[in-house]
Amino acid sequence: MSTVAPEPDVSVVVIVYNDEERLPTAVGSVLEQTLRNVEVIIADDCSTDGSYEVAQALAAAHPDKVRAIRLPENSGGCGEPRNQGVKVARGRYVMFLDSDDTLERNACRNMVEAADRTDADLVSALCVRVHTDSRHDKRVQWYPWLYRETRTLDSVAELPDLFVFDTLSTNKCYRRDFLLGNDLAFPRGIHYEDLLFSAQAYLAARRITLIPNTVYFWNVVQKTSVKSISNRRNEISNFADRVEIHRRIDAILDRQGQDELKLRKDIKFLKHDLVLYLRELPFLDDDYRHRFAELARDYVQDFPEAAYAELDRVHAICAQLLLREDWTDLMPAIDTLLNRNKISAPLTERDGRIYWTDRYLDDDEMRSVLDVTTLGYHAKQLNQMYLRNRLTEYTARGGDVVLAGEVVNPLHTIAPGAKLTAELEFRARRRSLQTFTFPVPAPRHQGDVIAWRAEVPLARRLRPLGIVDDVWDVRLHLTADGKRTTSRLTVGAVDLEHADDVPVRPRLTRLMADRLEAQVSAKGHLAFRLTQHSRLARTGRAAVERNLHGRPARAAKGAYRRLRALRRDLNSGTRKLQVYERMLTRLPVRKGTVVFESHLGKQYSDSPRAIYEELRRRGAPITPIWSYAGERPEGFPKDAELVRRWSWGYLKALAQAEYWIDNQGFPLRLTKRPETTYIQTWHGSALKRMGFDEPGLRMLSEPEQRSYQQALDRFDHFVVRSEHDVRTLARAYRIPEHKLLRTGYPRNDALVRARQGAASNPEAQRLAERLGIDPDRRVLLYAPTFRAGSDGRVKDFEFPFDVEDFAARFGDDCTLLVRAHYLNRLTLPPSVAGSVIDVSAEPDITPLMLLADALITDYSSVMFDYALLQRPIVFYVHDWEEYAQDTRGTYFDLLSEAPGPVPRTAEELFDVLGDLGTVGAVHEARLKEFVDKYGEYDRGDAAAQIVDRFFGPAGEAR
Amino acid sequence: MTQRDIFFVANEVNELGGVGRWQTQMARLLADRGHRVTVVGIAPAHHPMDLGEPPFRTETLYARRPPGRPRARRLLGPADPAVRRHEAHMRTAAARLTTLFRAARPGAVIIVAQVWAMEWVALADTAGHRVIGMTHESFETCRKSSRFARVKKYFKDVDRLLALTQEDADRWVGEGLNNLGFMPNPLPIVPDTPSQRTEKVVASIGRLSHEKGVDLLLDAWAEAAQRQPGWTLRIYGKGEAEAELRQRCADLGLEDSVDFAGQTDDVPGALRASSVFVQSSRGEGFPLVLLEAMACGVPCVAFDCAPGVREIVGHEEDGLLARPGNTFELARHLVRLMSDEQLRDSMGEQALRSARRFDPETITDRWEELFDFLER
Repeated sequence: MSTVAPEPDVSVVVIVYNDEERLPTAVGSVLEQTLRNVEVIIADDCSTDGSYEVAQALAAAHPDKVRAIRLPENSGGCGEPRNQGVKVARGRYVMFLDSDDTLERNACRNMVEAADRTDADLVSALCVRVHTDSRHDKRVQWYPWLYRETRTLDSVAELPDLFVFDTLSTNKCYRRDFLLGNDLAFPRGIHYEDLLFSAQAYLAARRITLIPNTVYFWNVVQKTSVKSISNRRNEISNFADRVEIHRRIDAILDRQGQDELKLRKDIKFLKHDLVLYLRELPFLDDDYRHRFAELARDYVQDFPEAAYAELDRVHAICAQLLLREDWTDLMPAIDTLLNRNKISAPLTERDGRIYWTDRYLDDDEMRSVLDVTTLGYHAKQLNQMYLRNRLTEYTARGGDVVLAGEVVNPLHTIAPGAKLTAELEFRARRRSLQTFTFPVPAPRHQGDVIAWRAEVPLARRLRPLGIVDDVWDVRLHLTADGKRTTSRLTVGAVDLEHADDVPVRPRLTRLMADRLEAQVSAKGHLAFRLTQHSRLARTGRAAVERNLHGRPARAAKGAYRRLRALRRDLNSGTRKLQVYERMLTRLPVRKGTVVFESHLGKQYSDSPRAIYEELRRRGAPITPIWSYAGERPEGFPKDAELVRRWSWGYLKALAQAEYWIDNQGFPLRLTKRPETTYIQTWHGSALKRMGFDEPGLRMLSEPEQRSYQQALDRFDHFVVRSEHDVRTLARAYRIPEHKLLRTGYPRNDALVRARQGAASNPEAQRLAERLGIDPDRRVLLYAPTFRAGSDGRVKDFEFPFDVEDFAARFGDDCTLLVRAHYLNRLTLPPSVAGSVIDVSAEPDITPLMLLADALITDYSSVMFDYALLQRPIVFYVHDWEEYAQDTRGTYFDLLSEAPGPVPRTAEELFDVLGDLGTVGAVHEARLKEFVDKYGEYDRGDAAAQIVDRFFGPAGEAR
Repeated sequence: MTQRDIFFVANEVNELGGVGRWQTQMARLLADRGHRVTVVGIAPAHHPMDLGEPPFRTETLYARRPPGRPRARRLLGPADPAVRRHEAHMRTAAARLTTLFRAARPGAVIIVAQVWAMEWVALADTAGHRVIGMTHESFETCRKSSRFARVKKYFKDVDRLLALTQEDADRWVGEGLNNLGFMPNPLPIVPDTPSQRTEKVVASIGRLSHEKGVDLLLDAWAEAAQRQPGWTLRIYGKGEAEAELRQRCADLGLEDSVDFAGQTDDVPGALRASSVFVQSSRGEGFPLVLLEAMACGVPCVAFDCAPGVREIVGHEEDGLLARPGNTFELARHLVRLMSDEQLRDSMGEQALRSARRFDPETITDRWEELFDFLER
């Protein structure tokens, strides 16, 4: 074998303090590295147990690889032992390891390889936190997004997130010369030494390489016991150390002129560091709160405006209220900070905007900070709200517990006269087999809050099983006039520490546990934990714990897991497909059954609906079955059988149906038997390239394309509304001529009839009433197409014009209906109420088109349908270049073919809207041409033609 | 440099194809450096290449291709006699590997170029030697194949698993493998004279199959040719899609500007007679033909369909990359190079320089460094 290099490649400095038990494991993880040329330096911080002896024994056992050093006196931190270790290290590189953690087997090899290859001073890699107290050693990656791919930085300024977030010193490998040459050492006598050290190292490094490999296992034991008040106070005093470390880092950043890094760090401080302490504030008295606020204010008040500008609503509110020491308003804000979807404050409406509190609205700056209109609280119904419920009393007497609290009543959603009922629910956190509810007598409406109080006979009524249900959460269900909201109990200043435990009698006997102890969850909510008080319970529980890891228990758990896997397998997609293929499709076809589906079951709408209604109108003797997606069918007809998409019932219905009618596609992998006729109505003419004209499909491999083609071949008939469809859609989906139904779209019959002057559509009328549209106002429908991100997911909807400006300019005589993608939720400020209405949730767009006097769209296929009405269309194509040059491409140039104005900016749009009369007149002829070209077959009798052809004039299935 | 015993273990010794050519070239290069090289195949080749008198030893474990691994019957699991018989059979063959490995001097290196072969190496005794696994395709291609699970299983504990590029290696790391490295393939040819880039010819070289996406290229060409008349697209290669492609070409009215030139034995010659190279594949691993074009000083336009493509072609430096499937963009890139002689020259010259990264000698150095590193 060739000679081993004289110096070690890596020196791993393992620090230890009173941890003799785990030290050998840590050292072992270095000795078992795949890179053999490593040395271990154990730096003992003057332990009082046998750690040093263990270290010496390890050194004796591996004389050429392990050395042990001992500090003369305890340093109290991690920094000094590491410093001493580095001093005696001989390796080309240095890594740090704590005695309770371990290195991944390939860690050193991967680190050295990356460092050598890229000539980096510092290599950083992924750290994984292992929750050793969790059942399956839960693993959580530490800032994984920084470590998705290998990358080399010439300065940490290229990746501020690295500097700001990954402040560990242990998941890194340092060139030893680099540490020595830059005098890099850990500070002494102060907490958060890692923060300063890694900041210094990042800033000094000429080159930093990040690798995606896992190198370090950080074993953590989550504190399960209740944090004591003194614990919490301690944390506040640690804050002083943290601020001091940050000031030292600031000084270095200042010297180097790293303003951007400083800004990023300030933002992180406000968003993360501060939050760590804010969450303790509800439990501390005003004196501590004041001390903390002073420390914080002193540090953060000099942060630049830009740092505050980066904060989201809730963070900004917390920061400002903290600086003002407004505890009353801050505590609810902290609650929302920890529970993001919770509404915690009574809120107030002023001039059409919603504010967190009315207290500072005279101050313009505070006014903008406190403006929470965009959070959309005001648009929610009570049953959609998750409300703050502040616990105001907790007393345990014997087996009874008295609980009282106040549920916030934001914007007085609950009216003073509302009929109120409430109950408390106790439910085990892990897979509860049972829940226990307790009535709450007479909740009281007190304006901003609903107050409640209940005496709960916990000891008598709550019967946990024991072992499997150790932790119990508490919820309050409050019902006001039939609308129910569920909240959790936020503990805050109520003293749980000195409250008595409640005796409890688990069903598995008191050997499991004998007490219920009140505690606070990580999110600040009241919970109860089973504990063992008597000796009997303690020894009983210990015995059970031991047995839980014994062989019979393992076998039982294994059997249970296999059973669950079997159940999962039976209901899995593959199994369902097999059964569909081998069994269901062999059942006889049920004559007269028609399975309808619209947009993958998401709606009762579109052409399938129009055909269904025509069949119903004629009283055709068919058995209709509608498919729906989601938990519950909403808005589907009551006189049809409803089956959930992908359910067994759905598969059976499809397997035995005589007709399939849908507008997008039944699950691609379901084959269609020859006896079934599939009428594909499709859902819109195309501007964007589709099907095999679209790069995504074209790039598929041959087998993938073949299987897609097979799914398309299931169509027996394909509805088109113009020769444009034949040239584009039919070609793109490779539909042969004989399958084409040149009938036009059944869904558009209503539009054509309206154009021909039919009496107003009753459904449209009902809709107008439901939406509260003033019949004297003009109605505009804004229906843009959705935007997808690079990952293909639908992007959040954003108005490409100022909707408040719109309301100000046109609100008096116009109503704007906004229809975004059904996945999008938009938030409209109260100021535009009445003049702008969100209609995204309406299942069917046809009645909306009927109501609208004009349409604003961009590239949506709604243009082809709406044109049938011969009413003005405005094409607001603010991002045409981006859209047209998108990888898909378009079938024609919209800018030159559009039968209406094509404003490119919000101003141009508003100008056009101001003069809609002219728009109609000017574009009338072009609109006609457009309809002739793209909707020639839409003549108002599509549904009738289709029903005639397939179900006969009498409506009988042929 | 230490001279070692080096074993290549692959599905076959001399199968015609990418891995086979790579293996023969690499074995030769290492043998030329004085290492004692043995190439072991599990089974005889389907379409054997003639190796001539190779400077390395060759061995094949089976005289006939062994049957596939039987699927264990559900109830019996690993105790299924059919599975046991198969494993016993494999062990016998693996014993021959063990004999070979034991006869080698300590510090030998075993390079397993394909995961199927690794199933035998895993059963053999490799004590005292380093095992290097390889995956000769892009992560994405592998992920869609049955090899994916086997790579994760059999290569999990080898001393190093080499992907073709850093990006592919990172993806494997993301799958939980922590022993990843990467090693590009060497340039298969060392061309003497580069292209003068004076001919108005765009070249495409590759099998005429769906995967190579020549149909996409024709669509792009229909746009590009219209804007740059006088240029010819010369398509080298043959394959099952030829008739269909010729038909498409006629449908698009491109017969005048497209030349189906058939398969060529003289790739450098074909490249020298062109000024731009284009590749429109649906999937690739580490496309050597791009490397060859660059080594001939021909700038490349390609779909950015795999990390191997990005690794070879530097966008806007020595070539132009288009988003996969975006024929409009591919056409725009072609037009840019066709219309700008200066750009062709500067990118072509840069391509010549950057292709040197894959020079056989450079890659051989990297292999030897890796052997030393794994000994540490």
